[in-house]
Amino acid sequence: MMTFCFTGIRSLPKLWKSNPYLGLGPGHSFLSLFLENCYGIRNQQKWFSLKTVSAQNTKAVNLLIAKARYLRNEGSSKQVSSDTHLFAAGAAKKRSQMNPHRKDDALPPMRNTIQLPTKPLNSEEWDRLKEDFKGRANFESWIISQMAQSCSSVDVAKSLLAWVAAKNNGIVGYDLLVKYLYLCVVHKQTSEIIDVYEIMKARYKRLESGGYTLLIQGLIHSDRWREALLLLEDVKKVMIPSKKNYNDCIEGALLHQDVNLAWNLYQELLGYDLIPMLKTLKAFFDFGKNIKDDQYSNKLFDILLYLRNNHLYPEESFAHSIKTWFESVPGEHWKGQFTTVKESGQCLGCGKTIESIHLSSEEYESLKGKIMKDVIDGGDLYKKTTPQELERFQNFVKCCPPFDIVIDGLNVAKTFPKARESQVLLDVVSQLAKQNLELLVLGRKHMLTQHSRWRKDEMKMVQKQASCFFADNISEDDPFLLYATLHSGNHCKFITKDLMRDHKACLHNAKTQHLFFKWQRGHQLAILNRLPGSKIIFQNIPSYDTVVQTTGDSWHIPYDDDMVERYSYEVPTKWLCLHRKT
Amino acid sequence: MSVFLKMNGSIILRSLARFLVPFTIPRKRRVLCSGVLQRYLSSKIPAVSYPNKESTSPPEKLELDSWKITMKSSVQDVSADSGSKDEDPVVAMKELIEMWRLLGREVPEHISEEELKTAMECVSKSSKKKYLRYLYIKEKAKKARQTKKELKAATKEKAIKDQLLETTKEDKQQNFLFLRLWDRNMDTAMGWKGAQAMQFGQPLVFDMDYGNYMKPKELRNTVCQLLESEGWNRRDVDPFHIYFCNLQVGGVYHKELVRRYEEKWSKLLLTTTEKSYIDLFPKDSIIYLTADSPNVMTTFKHDKIYVVGSFVDKGTQKGISLAKAKRLKLATECLPLDRYLQWDTGTKNLTLDQMMRILLCLKNTGSWEEALRFVPKRKHAGYLEISPSSQEELVNRLKRSKTFNSFPKDSLKIHTQKRWLK
Repeated sequence: MMTFCFTGIRSLPKLWKSNPYLGLGPGHSFLSLFLENCYGIRNQQKWFSLKTVSAQNTKAVNLLIAKARYLRNEGSSKQVSSDTHLFAAGAAKKRSQMNPHRKDDALPPMRNTIQLPTKPLNSEEWDRLKEDFKGRANFESWIISQMAQSCSSVDVAKSLLAWVAAKNNGIVGYDLLVKYLYLCVVHKQTSEIIDVYEIMKARYKRLESGGYTLLIQGLIHSDRWREALLLLEDVKKVMIPSKKNYNDCIEGALLHQDVNLAWNLYQELLGYDLIPMLKTLKAFFDFGKNIKDDQYSNKLFDILLYLRNNHLYPEESFAHSIKTWFESVPGEHWKGQFTTVKESGQCLGCGKTIESIHLSSEEYESLKGKIMKDVIDGGDLYKKTTPQELERFQNFVKCCPPFDIVIDGLNVAKTFPKARESQVLLDVVSQLAKQNLELLVLGRKHMLTQHSRWRKDEMKMVQKQASCFFADNISEDDPFLLYATLHSGNHCKFITKDLMRDHKACLHNAKTQHLFFKWQRGHQLAILNRLPGSKIIFQNIPSYDTVVQTTGDSWHIPYDDDMVERYSYEVPTKWLCLHRKT
Repeated sequence: MSVFLKMNGSIILRSLARFLVPFTIPRKRRVLCSGVLQRYLSSKIPAVSYPNKESTSPPEKLELDSWKITMKSSVQDVSADSGSKDEDPVVAMKELIEMWRLLGREVPEHISEEELKTAMECVSKSSKKKYLRYLYIKEKAKKARQTKKELKAATKEKAIKDQLLETTKEDKQQNFLFLRLWDRNMDTAMGWKGAQAMQFGQPLVFDMDYGNYMKPKELRNTVCQLLESEGWNRRDVDPFHIYFCNLQVGGVYHKELVRRYEEKWSKLLLTTTEKSYIDLFPKDSIIYLTADSPNVMTTFKHDKIYVVGSFVDKGTQKGISLAKAKRLKLATECLPLDRYLQWDTGTKNLTLDQMMRILLCLKNTGSWEEALRFVPKRKHAGYLEISPSSQEELVNRLKRSKTFNSFPKDSLKIHTQKRWLK
């Protein structure tokens, strides 16, 4: 880097000299030079900052690197293509990183640069600080917000409150109190929390949700944790308590060994149709360690079934808790391991086959009906198509033999931006047609008009090898895709890159949405790559369903890896496999 | 107390000095001191005496916990009468709102029984907060209006006083070289233009058939926008002939319009009808403007009838106007926002008055750059420069369309024939 700098400097006079020969004005040359210099400096700074950071927490970084390397090795050695599967956890994140044209949002510049005090100040110092403050906001509430944001020490905040109280007849406003309470809770200062609690109880008949939440969170660690439950009752008078409130109360109850209370609170929480925090469920598992109690075990099994029914997936730490609990149950020799599942649906840990992704015929019929009603019709047929067009399409589907694969023509054609659209479509169609599959290509009418990207001869070839339906340019094509696929039977697949989230959202209840997602994962083919010989590589459809499942003697629980950011429309790839030795 | 007030007052006075020089301080106090401020101001009394007390104690040892004792011993701040402990939820809700206000949340200071009931009926916490925020903004606007009104009244009074002084000084008749342009002259001129537009102008249809898609609040907003767009049209050089189609007499829309326009409603220079636009105009000359349309508008056509749906949807209901146009088999178009603007955030639905100004500007100038000024700045990050490649593409497309469409086959034939004749 030093050499770079030097060359930069050495080239300085050179530039200066050479410029007149180029015929540029002196002002111009100066500008270019200045810019270059600027860049040099900025690069330098970046380098330094990076270095200092890495020097500070080398250990953490090394750990991360090691883990990443391990993961990569694992992936490459096994050649598991499910890593890049359309619905695999982290796939969307990876996709978003592949097109990095979105610039990172720069942090807004700091407007008020008052140094937050690091030690308690006396009133003169506070007065002075207030004079320095130039913002339009109220100084006291502004500074305590800043302190809450940066987690200042409790004593500093306390000195602020003392200052405010002193100039204010010994009265501190509610907002300052709440923020002070927040700091106490963050720093787990139980005695302070109780003091604030007493003050609030004395001064205010009722608090608001934020204050209650903080008090509950603070009080459960103290001896007066039962008063947190009274606060919970107070919240109920005005609104449904949040799942966080319940989580705190349940954790408190378990902390103080009141199991029945915890379960009652849990039932109450479910009764409000709230989805409990995973932390709450983990607390039950952590508490149940080494306890031989069938009733308690059954309740934990219920929790696992709850995860199954709501398509929830535990995080890594929760999965560890589940494993330890299973292994700790006395008398039952459970053994657990973290593993993955083969594409065929075989668990690599125990060799058992995971539940199939295929829908039962009742499930299939009900999904079909719901999609017709909610997605395609949706209250107004004209929103997505027209009745005439739908009828034309329905007749068309009736006349044709049941399809094996339905292709979203426009989506497939635009998969590879550099290739010609009709060429890509033709490649896909001809490759599939060679396998004697009955194909349907859906498109819009504009695909048939001559264009440099839509060649007529190629479209003719497509039409020869597959049945084609072209919707009006104004209609949406996805509903037709769903209709045709569902009406061709359970074996029929469809090809598109679209994640169909908007159509999923049209379905009204969560259960149907889960069903739709399961069907989608089992039937959606995605195009992975196009080799130079115009051979298309498709992604394998997983044959198993990613959901918590049991056979009595074994449990398979998919969980979220901490290293992977999973989006809501993706499923985890890691599994916890538990089985009982007999 | 008076010391502090003077200080505060003087700061504000300086900024307002242009408008009100002889302003009495007691009056000001009444205007400014809301409950909170009063408490805040009164709280400053002991600040003067405090440093004396502080100076006696050593600065190293800070009294950090003394405030707690005074806080605990002091009486309840809010509604000390706790007679009915198991009170009804209405009171509880009121107290909750009060506490939110103390926390600095955006909730109204005063709330009517009816509004309280609506707030309680909101299912979730966030919907409660949203509703309360709406009330807060309403309350704030009302307060601001009131203070503005008072200010205006004060300046007027002062102006009259000054004028009186002046007239006593120089009692002279004012002579002008030019005719004075009164507001009513302007009104007459605009009226003439409006009348002319109603005879010869290009029609612009507002489709009022969305009454039952909207909540009352949204409907009120729509009518606000309609009023504004009518105003912009009236003031334009070459106004449209506005049609309010599908306007049912006695319907929600009609009621709201009459309520807002009052007696002016019957004198407006526009056409209102219960009929649909497809009964009034030939179908192939109608173009429905909707943001959901796949067809992008390229030029403004002076011989077409543009239809704008007067529809405000705060919760996005997708594709309703497009569905309507499809049902009636009408041509649809959307504005070329993506072609000219670097779209940033927000939906591409524009308000009716923005739409009106864009259309007026388009009609008069034909320039998109000019017309799309009226798209709110917060929604985009400036105009796109047309890159040379895309320009090339445009030229190519034009060429192609010319060779394929605009030269009919006959012309080619004639050409060849001619050559053959030679």
